[in-house]
Amino acid sequence: MVPAPASYPASSENHVLALVVERNPIVQRLEKYFLEQAGYQVEFATDGVSALARAKDLRPAILVTEILVPRIDGLTLCRQLKSQTETKDILVLVFTHLEAEERAREAGADAFLQKPLGETRMLKTLEALVRRHQELLREKP
Amino acid sequence: MNRKRLSTGTEGLDQVLGGGYLENSLNVIMGAPGTGKTILAEQLVFAQATRERPALYLTTYSEPLEKLILNTQAYPFFDVSKIGVEVLYEDLAVGIREKGYSALPDLIMGFLSQRHPRVLVIDSYKALCELAESPEESRTVLFELATLLASYDCAAFLIGEYSSGTLTELPAFAIADSILSLQKHASGGNDQRFLCVEKLRGSDSLPGLHAFSITSNGLEVFPRLLSPQSFTPYKDTSVERITSGVDGLDSLIETGFWQGSTTLVAGPTGSGKSMLSLQFLHKGAQSGEPALYVGFQENPVQLSRITKGFGWELEKLKEKDLFEIMYRSPVEMQLDEVATRIFERVKQGKVKRIVIDALGDLRRRSTDFNRFSDYIYSLTQWFALKQVTCVMTYEVKDLFEFHSVTGEEISNMADNVLLLRFTPEAEMARTLRVVKTRGSAHDQREHVLKLSRKGVAVGEPWKGSYQIRS
Repeated sequence: MVPAPASYPASSENHVLALVVERNPIVQRLEKYFLEQAGYQVEFATDGVSALARAKDLRPAILVTEILVPRIDGLTLCRQLKSQTETKDILVLVFTHLEAEERAREAGADAFLQKPLGETRMLKTLEALVRRHQELLREKP
Repeated sequence: MNRKRLSTGTEGLDQVLGGGYLENSLNVIMGAPGTGKTILAEQLVFAQATRERPALYLTTYSEPLEKLILNTQAYPFFDVSKIGVEVLYEDLAVGIREKGYSALPDLIMGFLSQRHPRVLVIDSYKALCELAESPEESRTVLFELATLLASYDCAAFLIGEYSSGTLTELPAFAIADSILSLQKHASGGNDQRFLCVEKLRGSDSLPGLHAFSITSNGLEVFPRLLSPQSFTPYKDTSVERITSGVDGLDSLIETGFWQGSTTLVAGPTGSGKSMLSLQFLHKGAQSGEPALYVGFQENPVQLSRITKGFGWELEKLKEKDLFEIMYRSPVEMQLDEVATRIFERVKQGKVKRIVIDALGDLRRRSTDFNRFSDYIYSLTQWFALKQVTCVMTYEVKDLFEFHSVTGEEISNMADNVLLLRFTPEAEMARTLRVVKTRGSAHDQREHVLKLSRKGVAVGEPWKGSYQIRS
C-alpha cells in the first residue's frame, strides 16, 4: 500500500491518487491492475484536455501521461500543468513509446519511462515520485 | 535505439534473426502441421524463462495441453523442474469456451497481470481465430490484443498453421513485427526442412531459405552461407605457394598451389581423385597444417583402410588435431549442414587444407542448382579470405574422353582445374592435365599419373592429345 500523507489533498482511504492519461481502454485496465495492486488509487483521462481539467479537479499526487494522447499531447499537458499555480506541484511521469526523455525533461516532467510497461520499473519510479512529493509537502510552510 | 534481443535457444536461428527476437515484439511462427513450429516455440520458452519473468505457453484448440507436454518432454531442453515455476502452461481454450472469442484480450490481460511473463506463446492462434463470428470481429480482437501486448513488456508469439499464400490476406501478418515461416521441401525420399524470415521489423535478418533439422536434441538451424563482405582474398601470394604433396605436380603449376586457392580435380571413377586429394591433406598435416577431409562415399573405416595401405599414420595426426574426417552419408546429408560445419571450422582457424570429395554428392542433395552454386562460391570466397587451401573433386562419367569438366560452371569458381582420365589404350594408363590455373603459368601437356604403394605421382608427358573445355 502507498499511504498518502495526512495533508494530502486528493486521497481516498489513505491511498495516493494517480491520474493516468491513456486513450486505450485495455491498456487502461492493465495499468489500473498494476497500480491498484501496488496500493495506488487510480483515475483515468483519455485525452490531454480532459486530463488538465481532471488534474485541477482531483489534484492527484502523480500524473502519468503518454505523449501520444488526443487533443493536446502529453508534453503540452505537462507544460500547462507546471505553469499553473494549482497544478504545478503535481509530479508528472511521462510514460511513452517514444524516445523522448530530453523533450520530456524540457517540458518539466519529473520522471520519464519508456514503454512497454515493466511493472517493477514503473512502480519503483512511482515510489520515488511519491517520496519526493511527500518531501515537497513537508517543505511547504 | 538498441533494442534487447531474446535468444531462441537455437544459435543458428539467432544468427538468421540478426541476434534473436526483439524484446517486446509480436511475432508469428507459421507453417504446415509437422514443420516444427511447436518445438521451436518450446525451445525458445525454455531458453528464456526465469523465476522472476516466466514464460507462459497457452494452448488452444490445435493440440491438447497434455499431448503437447507429452510430445515435448523427450527433448533435452525440456527441464521438468522449470514447469510451474519458470515455464507455465495454461489452457486458453477453457476461458474462450466460457466467455467467447471477443474476450481474448481480457483473458490475456489477466494472464499478463497475474503471471508477469517475459515470453507469451499462443499455440495455435489460428485455431482461435476460426472461432471469430466475422472477419471484423477477428480483426478488432487482434488489434486490441496487439495494442495490449505492445504496452506490456513481453515478447509474444502467435503460432499458426498458415500457408504462405495467406501472407497478404490475414491481419495477423500485417500487425506482426516478425513472421517466420517453416517449410518442408520434398527431396528424393527425404524431406528437407527450411525456414525463412518473411518479415522482421526493426532489425536486419539473413535473407533466403535456411535449412534446419529436428533431431533428438531439438531444432537446429543452419544459416545460409553468404559470401564474405570484405575482399581480402589473394594477398600477395607470390611467396605463399604451398606444395600439393604430389610428386611432379607442383612443377606443372610453377611451384605449387597458391595458399587460399581452390583446385578442382575432375575425373572418372578410379582415376585417382580421392588419392590425390588425400595426399594433399596428408602432406599438409605432416607439416603442421590442420587438414579436413569432407567425404560422402568412403566412411572413416574404409578411408582408414586406404590410407593404411600407403603407410600413413592418420591416427597420430588426428590425435594432434592435424587431421579430421567429416563423413556424411550421401543419403541423409544436407548441403546446408555440411557447409555450416565446414564454415565453423574455417572461421575458428582450425583448418588450413580442406578436401571436399565429391561435389556431385553435394549437388545431388541440393534442392536447386543455384543454391548449390551459391554455396560453393561462398565457401571458396571464405577459403580465400581465411587462406585455407581447398581441393574439390568432381566425378565425370566418361572414362576416356569428355568435353566439359563439370557442366555446371563450377570450374569457373576454381583457381586451378586438374583433369584426370584413363587413356583408351589396352593398359588404361591414368593421366593428369592442368587445364586451368588462375594467376600462374602452367604446363599444358597431359602427364602420366602413377599410383603406387607410396601414393600418387605425376610422371612423364603422355604421348597423345584430345580437346577439353573447362
